[in-house]
Amino acid sequence: MGAFWKYLGNRILIFIITVFLAVTVVFLVPRWLPGDPLQSVYSKMAGVGGGAVSDELIAEYRRRFGLDKSTFDQYISFWRELLRGNLGYSIASFPTRVSTILRQAVPWTIGLLTFTTLVSWLLGSLLGAMVGWSDGKSKKLNALVPIALVLYTTPYYILAILLVFLLAYRWAIFPLSGAYTLGADKEWSWSFAMDVLEHAALPALSIILVSLGWWFLSMRSLIISEKGQDYILWAEARGLPKRRIFWSYAFRNALLPQTTGLALSFGHIVGGALITEVIFAYPGLGYVIYNSIQQLDFPVIQGTVLLLIVSVSVANLLIDMLYPIIDPRIRIGDGGN
Amino acid sequence: MAAITVTEQPQDGPLIERRSIFSTLLGNRKFVWGAAVFLAIWLTAIIGSQFVEPAMRRTGAYPPKLSPSFDSPALWVGTTTLGQSVAVQWTQAVPNSMLVGLIAAAIGTSVGAIIGLLGGYYGGRVDAVLRVIVDIFLSIPSLLFLILIASLLKGVSVVEMALVIGAFAWAWPARAVRSQTLSLKERPFVRVAKLSGMGNLEIILRELLPHLLAWLGANFLNAFIAAILAESALSIIGLGPAREMTLGMMIYWALNFGAMIQNMWWWWITPVITLIVLFLSLFLVHLGLDEVGNPRLRTEQGG
Repeated sequence: MGAFWKYLGNRILIFIITVFLAVTVVFLVPRWLPGDPLQSVYSKMAGVGGGAVSDELIAEYRRRFGLDKSTFDQYISFWRELLRGNLGYSIASFPTRVSTILRQAVPWTIGLLTFTTLVSWLLGSLLGAMVGWSDGKSKKLNALVPIALVLYTTPYYILAILLVFLLAYRWAIFPLSGAYTLGADKEWSWSFAMDVLEHAALPALSIILVSLGWWFLSMRSLIISEKGQDYILWAEARGLPKRRIFWSYAFRNALLPQTTGLALSFGHIVGGALITEVIFAYPGLGYVIYNSIQQLDFPVIQGTVLLLIVSVSVANLLIDMLYPIIDPRIRIGDGGN
Repeated sequence: MAAITVTEQPQDGPLIERRSIFSTLLGNRKFVWGAAVFLAIWLTAIIGSQFVEPAMRRTGAYPPKLSPSFDSPALWVGTTTLGQSVAVQWTQAVPNSMLVGLIAAAIGTSVGAIIGLLGGYYGGRVDAVLRVIVDIFLSIPSLLFLILIASLLKGVSVVEMALVIGAFAWAWPARAVRSQTLSLKERPFVRVAKLSGMGNLEIILRELLPHLLAWLGANFLNAFIAAILAESALSIIGLGPAREMTLGMMIYWALNFGAMIQNMWWWWITPVITLIVLFLSLFLVHLGLDEVGNPRLRTEQGG
């Protein structure tokens, strides 16, 4: 069991350091850079009133955003507020809290991300395993390899743009953008659900297609290398049914690195989903980031990115904790190096 | 450097073949095609930019929203809503995007190689510390950190962008180089070098590094692709170099002005097709390198 606990401890340590680093960067970088982070607020107010902003008002705003205290005090209270779930206020739509904006966007991103990741990982792994196992004997299956190569090299946003153009603009099968028809009643009704699904179809399709290619190729090469192993030959010599060798020997063993792959690329998947949301104007976290960049709304950008970094780290940690269940070597303790 | 090592150590198998590696590469169809297409795009852009005068880059230099025509080379792929020539933008964008790729890949690969070699060779406490840092950077979602930093910098230039991207591109090569160094340093020739009184630095540079060069070359290519990808991703979100042109910024402006809905396909399709062709050509180069470096992968038609 020693190796397992060492492994787990190592993972948890990395998780803590990552989150700590993210929070510290979010805190420190704006304070290192020259200029008042509230400059855009002042210019906005000056634009409305037509005159310069009074010193009293600036002082009040600095107090409200905690900029009048020492850096260390700010850092401590930054953490305290963060742990309470308080990410501060949006600059562009001032009285609104960052957490309110995030709460509206998170369900869209989670829905899109969970569905597409599960579908593409499962489908890609299965198809890749089948093609790797057939090893070029089936012409039909082999035709999938170049398709997967093309999909894998295609960046998220390029596929998204092409899909929007072809399926939403040219042939207008799907809506151009958004997550639901504007003005639709947001209620638990059949028509609204269909509306949401219709809007989610294209973003989901573009994410699934791109990541499918990668899972397919990685599983295919994993299965091919498992196939050359002695234990497969031995299982064949023992006369085990092909199906059994495939599922409980080759596929099972190839699933280990494939799961690590999922954990390692989770941040990448999230990044791809963000860009896809921007292109489809899908109201998830990616679109929130895009809008806040346009409006120079830095608290919202930081809050969103921080939330994403923490969630990706938590997801990584969870996958890491699941890993011993599917890899007995870590459980028993002769692996982990 | 590699050549010297080859002549000094004829007993070491794979290195002897290095001299013929160029002819092997040139005989690989995937590599040749990929490299040719890639260079063709680059050269077209660079030669094209020689014909671009400052006045042609100005906003409103041409009538707005012109569809592609053969009247003049600047109008080959039409003009934008603001009356800029898409062709002129393209000649600026391609070299800039390539510059981002080059700088970021060079930083990522060299820093990764140094950290991997040091950690793998020295082991012990140095390695333990470096490993934790590498593990953290590997689990960090780099695009998110890039978004964060680029948004905090408030307006980046092409070079700054390349530096930021490069700062997150070293962790993967560091881990791979480390594990290769770990196995290399147990090989007899390193022990012989040690016993014959070679210094640590000399061993790393003359005995270990040459073995890693092929891998580092492949990694450079990957990092180059990844950096161009990251550049366009950041630009599309709105964090690109707003005063300069890159392929990502071309897409950003086209989307921002609703080029697609206005049926100005030439505007957005030019950078998109360029990126697709670039990625495919580099991917072919990569496959070619893989086949040359790992003969087991060679297909009947490819080798």
